Amino acid sequence: MDTPNPPLVSIAALQKRYGQGAVVLDGINLDVNKEEFVSLIGPSGCGKSTLLKLIASLSPVTSGTLTVDGMSPKNAREEMAFIFQEATLLPWRTVTRNIELPLEVSKVAAAKRSEICARMRHLVGLDHVPEHYPRQLSGGMKMRVSIARALSVSPKILLLDEPFGALDEMTRDRLNEELLAIRAQQKFTAFFVTHSVAEAVFLSSRIIVLAPNPGRIAHDFTVPFPYPRTAETRESPEFQRCVAEVSRILRSVSPAHP
Amino acid sequence: MRKYVNWLLPALAGILILAAWTGVKEVFGIRNFVLPSPLRILQAAIKERAVLLAAAEITITGAALGFVAAALIGFLASMVMSLSASFRLSLYPYILVLQMTPIMIFAPVLVIWMGPGLPTVTVITFLICFFPIVANTTQGLISVDKNMVDLFRMINADRVQEVLLLRVPHALPYFLTGLRIAGSIAMIGGITGDLFAGNTSGNAGGIGYMVLVYDGQLKIPELWAAGFTACLCGFVFVTVVLGLNWWLLRKWHDSIVKSDV
Ligand SMILES: Nc1ncnc2c1ncn2[C@@H]1O[C@H](COP(=O)(O)OP(=O)(O)OP(=O)(O)O)[C@@H](O)[C@H]1O
Ligand SMILES: [Mg+2]
Repeated sequence: MDTPNPPLVSIAALQKRYGQGAVVLDGINLDVNKEEFVSLIGPSGCGKSTLLKLIASLSPVTSGTLTVDGMSPKNAREEMAFIFQEATLLPWRTVTRNIELPLEVSKVAAAKRSEICARMRHLVGLDHVPEHYPRQLSGGMKMRVSIARALSVSPKILLLDEPFGALDEMTRDRLNEELLAIRAQQKFTAFFVTHSVAEAVFLSSRIIVLAPNPGRIAHDFTVPFPYPRTAETRESPEFQRCVAEVSRILRSVSPAHP
Repeated sequence: MRKYVNWLLPALAGILILAAWTGVKEVFGIRNFVLPSPLRILQAAIKERAVLLAAAEITITGAALGFVAAALIGFLASMVMSLSASFRLSLYPYILVLQMTPIMIFAPVLVIWMGPGLPTVTVITFLICFFPIVANTTQGLISVDKNMVDLFRMINADRVQEVLLLRVPHALPYFLTGLRIAGSIAMIGGITGDLFAGNTSGNAGGIGYMVLVYDGQLKIPELWAAGFTACLCGFVFVTVVLGLNWWLLRKWHDSIVKSDV
């Protein structure tokens, strides 16, 4: 069937287990359209990272279907970029050379490479440290390099696994705002794993709450307010209400403490 | 101030040791045959400097060639072993056998095969330097963080790119650790080589050979001087390796960039 706007990522009856282990994800059905910003939240171990890895084709699907832009995830890899919880920078490369890595690997010409890299560096606000090594950067700056590196290939889909989990709250808020500003320009579709409800509400157009054992979709929540969102957004009563509601849902799917 | 202390403390300790040495010798009347005085050793070293220098050159040449061969072949062997767990599983026991068999056993066998001379000394040094380099480098090549490997998969890097851009640079500090250990034992290889396989003409040979000669002639201070020459060569060797280590890692590695100033 030909729809005018097929979903960018389409997941149906998906099941995942690692080897012969327990079922980690079961009966996942999820369609995500272009330019949605989807957050995945849920109790620890419910399979959030696993779901990202399946989309990225870093781990094979056990059963069910998963297509990315009409292709198998493996074939669609060039349209995706992954941002890990740790910045995963190469310590022997400068900021510039780290950002250039994916372009270098795909054999983009040097001139083009440094042009793109300069743009990305500017985008994440690292113009002043092009020749610094990772050990000379703060946690927030490292994460900015990681974001710039991911964006350098102009991905259609950005997969982020708790990218700001290790940062202090102020840095995290700043980076959240910057990420949205960048998205307004670059128009990528995002899958964002987090443990912070406030972060999920602030960033997302849609929040998927996963329940554990086995991991499954418990709630599919649409965040009602529009972009652009700014620091003030967080202070609005509407935002607070939203956070309270998602928190309640999250608590309801979390295993009760004895 | 710190710099001063770094030099001053070892220098002071050195003077104390020499004083104690001389003192003990005088007080107990120990004969030169048993323990020569430091001054006597120095005199012997000066008198024999031409011979000792020539001997040092011979020994260092063998040690250096064996060391460099071990570095090159060790690195290549590590690359091969990092390619697959089956390679590691099948090769590692035999590399261990090389390491566990004392070099004193290998040395005479090698002389039977190759005759005495520099090539044999080189192989002897190679054999004792090889293991620390292979063990460390292989460890470095395979201990790359899983997320880094995933990152390289995400950017569609092929196997060669993964090895060259990720695994090799990551293994560099490990390789250098292997070199440091190998560098500190390379002189043992050189001297063992002299002893068993040194090419000797007249009364000249490597340091190991000179030790035998002096011992035979009961030239005990000269024997000690030869010992200190070997020690000095070892320091030169290790210094070169440490310099290389510093130069390669100076910009990014925590082991070099310690203080955050
Ligand atoms: N490589 C793997 N091999 C085997 N089991 C795995 C592997 N990765 C994850 N698992 C298992 O799958 C389940 C889900 O793990 P996953 O990392 O996806 O959870 P998560 O929701 O991301 O948790 P967290 O919030 O703590 O990061 C866990 O039970 C985990 O033990
Ligand atoms: Mg996770």
